[in-house]
Amino acid sequence: MTLFELFQYVIIALYLAGTVCFFIGSLKNNKSLGKLGNLVAVCGFALHTLDLLLAVTMYRGTVLSGGYFYFSLLGWSFILVYFGLWWKLRSTFFALTASPLALLLFLVSLASQSLKVTLPAHLSGLFIGLHIGTIFVSIALMAMAAGAGVAFIYLNNKIKTKANLTGIEKEMPSLNTFDNVNHWSIIIGFPLYTLSLASGFLWARAAFSKMFSWDPKEIVTLVVWFLFAFLFHQRIMVGWRGKKPAILVIIVFAITMFSLWGINFFVPTHHSFKV
Amino acid sequence: MDHNIYLIGLNHRSAGVDVRERYALTNIEEFESGLLELGVREVMALSTCNRVEILIVCAPEITQTNILEYWAKRCCGSVTELEPNTYCHDGLNAVKHLFRVACSLDSMIVGEPQILGQLKDSYRKAVEAGAARVIINRMLHKSFFVAKRVRTETSIASSAVSISYAAVELAKKIFGELEGQRAMLIGAGEMAELAATHLLNSGVEQISIANRTYSRAEDLAKCMGGKAVAFENLYDHLVETDIIISSTGAPHAVISAKEMRKVIKKRKYRPMFFIDIAVPRDIDPDVNGLDNVYLYDIDDLKDVVEENKSQREDEAVKANSIVEFETLSFGNWINSLDLQPTIVDLFNRSEHVAQQELAKTLKRLGDVDAKTHKALETMAMSIGKKLLHEPVAFLKRRTAEEGKADKFVDLARRMFNLDNETIPADAHCGRKKNRNLED
Repeated sequence: MTLFELFQYVIIALYLAGTVCFFIGSLKNNKSLGKLGNLVAVCGFALHTLDLLLAVTMYRGTVLSGGYFYFSLLGWSFILVYFGLWWKLRSTFFALTASPLALLLFLVSLASQSLKVTLPAHLSGLFIGLHIGTIFVSIALMAMAAGAGVAFIYLNNKIKTKANLTGIEKEMPSLNTFDNVNHWSIIIGFPLYTLSLASGFLWARAAFSKMFSWDPKEIVTLVVWFLFAFLFHQRIMVGWRGKKPAILVIIVFAITMFSLWGINFFVPTHHSFKV
Repeated sequence: MDHNIYLIGLNHRSAGVDVRERYALTNIEEFESGLLELGVREVMALSTCNRVEILIVCAPEITQTNILEYWAKRCCGSVTELEPNTYCHDGLNAVKHLFRVACSLDSMIVGEPQILGQLKDSYRKAVEAGAARVIINRMLHKSFFVAKRVRTETSIASSAVSISYAAVELAKKIFGELEGQRAMLIGAGEMAELAATHLLNSGVEQISIANRTYSRAEDLAKCMGGKAVAFENLYDHLVETDIIISSTGAPHAVISAKEMRKVIKKRKYRPMFFIDIAVPRDIDPDVNGLDNVYLYDIDDLKDVVEENKSQREDEAVKANSIVEFETLSFGNWINSLDLQPTIVDLFNRSEHVAQQELAKTLKRLGDVDAKTHKALETMAMSIGKKLLHEPVAFLKRRTAEEGKADKFVDLARRMFNLDNETIPADAHCGRKKNRNLED
């Protein structure tokens, strides 16, 4: 077993343990389990960071064209964004979205060691950080907002229909907290998303000498950008709150997921993961 | 016993808000010193929005009517108006009532913690003014102890006990923390005040009061530390308000869904929570259909509260039995303040110690003849009695000189721990600071 493999098993074990802690902690309304989950997740995250750094430094040449690296990085971004939210809101509730997704992505990354991505050679070092880093953090933010959106709609419905709140519903964060997650995810996520798109197009111009090549991924991403921009505008300028932005962000996240799993794997595109 | 304990007062149940306002005590220190001049031995008065309690220890010559007359005179009222709105407990009933107040069993919101703080404040003032002495000191210390016991041994303070509690819980579910939120009362009534108090206790930043009669709104605002709002500008104020409790007697809806649509837009869709406790309802039920607006009426809240009801009853029974028990134990102490029982207790204590020591010595000596046994026993007993001779003579002298010697009798009981009390480690924290005041 190489050092890498050992690392990966420990990371999986930690993320799994963290996820279990978060879920049982929420169901049983046990705060100390939530804290334990945080602790375990911090350890997993630290190892994961180390793992990514080692991969980048040791396999400089090949790592960026390995599909697994991107999944791993996306999973890492989820945990990063979760910690950001935790720092802001002190609620472990959002780990219920972040930690299983991070675990899933990390597992996918291990299963997809053989996937290859084609990287245009020009300026790849400069743009890859900008393009990939920003998009992943913004996807992670979207995911949190979508998770918060589902919770918002559920709880909002309960309160509007005057149902008795029982068990986990009693312990859920307030509607306002969910709406805050939506707010911050959009405020931070949209500029990042825009930055990612802009850097992508610039990179495309440098690499393929045309900005837009009617690539399916590009089209879907542009659609998402328009929806995201609309959401950003409604939220900031019109002052949308609550249910409407919650629904819209869920749609945006769903399309993004479709684009990630559907298009990257099955549709010919220059974002493709080739097996 | 040559002293009487009275507790005379009025609360939200015995008197309406206007009477409560008129007979609230504005200057407690002067009130207390006036009573001392009247000849009462000890006094402590508590005055809050919801209650006035006057605790008095006095000679039998002073009657309840004297106290009521003094109270009415100080508030520029009349006894005929005041008396029907008050209650008067004496002896152990007074003690029990005080304990119930301290435990918040007598409060509008059963289990609310504020009253204990207010009671401690009043007690501190009475101590500073020299109005609280042996009996009131002991009574108040005991009441704080009982309150603590009730709080730790029952969940009366933590369970959802009232409609307003349920309302606050829902508000928290919507807004998260209530700090910084603004609340408004439309119309005024007991229930609305109650809910507003609870909201304020939970950290609501500001409370405003709108009433058809502006002066009534002003009065209430003063009492609750809020601000009065003209009824005509209601909708303008709603833009700035997050939580609204409505309880007017209006026969038709005061707030319409159509107007609310404009308000919520002006607020940039920030959430609002309406609690409508009026019958017939004040707020158009369609308001609940607007995004980010939540409307609960009295029936909705009753449902929420229902599930906690049986639990609350159990807890109240438990709390009441604690109060009963502690009242009895206080009664025992009061009786022991007479000299004779204390002398008996002292000699019993000395005999008990002597017997214990005798048994130890005999065990160590092994077999001794009856004569030695008798001599040892006599010696042990007489040492105890001789030691007590002077203190008992002192207590008798003081009683003969001053008519009564509560203070010294109490001191003796404490020095010899005749009541077998366990003294908590922190019992004397802060004593140094207050020493001058206590003496």
